[in-house]
Amino acid sequence: MAKDKPVKVETKQAARELADNTFSPLVDIYETPAELVVIAEMPGAAREDVSVQVDKGVLTVEGAAKLEAPPEPFGETYLGFEAGTYFRAFALSDEIDRDKISASVANGVLTVRLPKSEGGKSRKIEIKTQD
Amino acid sequence: MAIFRWGSHFDPLAGFRQLHRELDRLMRPSFTEARRVGGGAYPPVNVYEAPGEVLVQCEVAGVDPSDLDVSITGETLTIKGQKRPLPEAEDVKFIRRERGSGEFTRMIVLPDAVEADKIEATLADGIMTIRLPKAASEQPKQIEVKPIGR
Repeated sequence: MAKDKPVKVETKQAARELADNTFSPLVDIYETPAELVVIAEMPGAAREDVSVQVDKGVLTVEGAAKLEAPPEPFGETYLGFEAGTYFRAFALSDEIDRDKISASVANGVLTVRLPKSEGGKSRKIEIKTQD
Repeated sequence: MAIFRWGSHFDPLAGFRQLHRELDRLMRPSFTEARRVGGGAYPPVNVYEAPGEVLVQCEVAGVDPSDLDVSITGETLTIKGQKRPLPEAEDVKFIRRERGSGEFTRMIVLPDAVEADKIEATLADGIMTIRLPKAASEQPKQIEVKPIGR
């Protein structure tokens, strides 16, 4: 039998290199008995430029903002914000029903709805008294 | 040059926030971390100027167009509005709240006088673009140089 060749095992952070114009969008997250809702602000990103992914229990939201500077002869007088890419990732708990996640974009705001699975919903357990 | 005046919502720490944001950017631990947004005066604006027009871009994600109020007084452009909070309910539990809500006002002193009747404001994907054509008296005028016969 052939001898197993040693394989070099490297552990390094899998985080991808983010460009200088990548922003972490501001989010609101709230929970109701039925679902979790993530609301992320992505001004300048249209519906087709936003992507939401669930992979190995990680929810990733990404968006590309389109912000066009007016052409010549316009000159910059004051710049208070810039466009770029939005990127943020969240670890999901097991109680989320991953197949029923839905997302929508309106007015530069992304809303991701994460319904809880039946097992994840809180249940009131009745305590029986013994007669 | 454009000068910014305090609106009715005076924020004495705005300058520090801006500095904090800049330092944050410089001191970012690594390039694997994304930059944070916000921190300065709200809403953030970009001002561009051409010989005949001023263009203002304003970031107002999540603000309903009907809640925005843009007005002009002389050379001062005022952007007022309100960002409605998420409806509160008893069984809603907030885990994170970064977006903020409430009323805002921002005043921008324009570089030149503009035609108040010809201002156009559009809103797309949370960014409002305001186009302000300059008043005729502010536009450059070509002056003919006449030779004097000797």
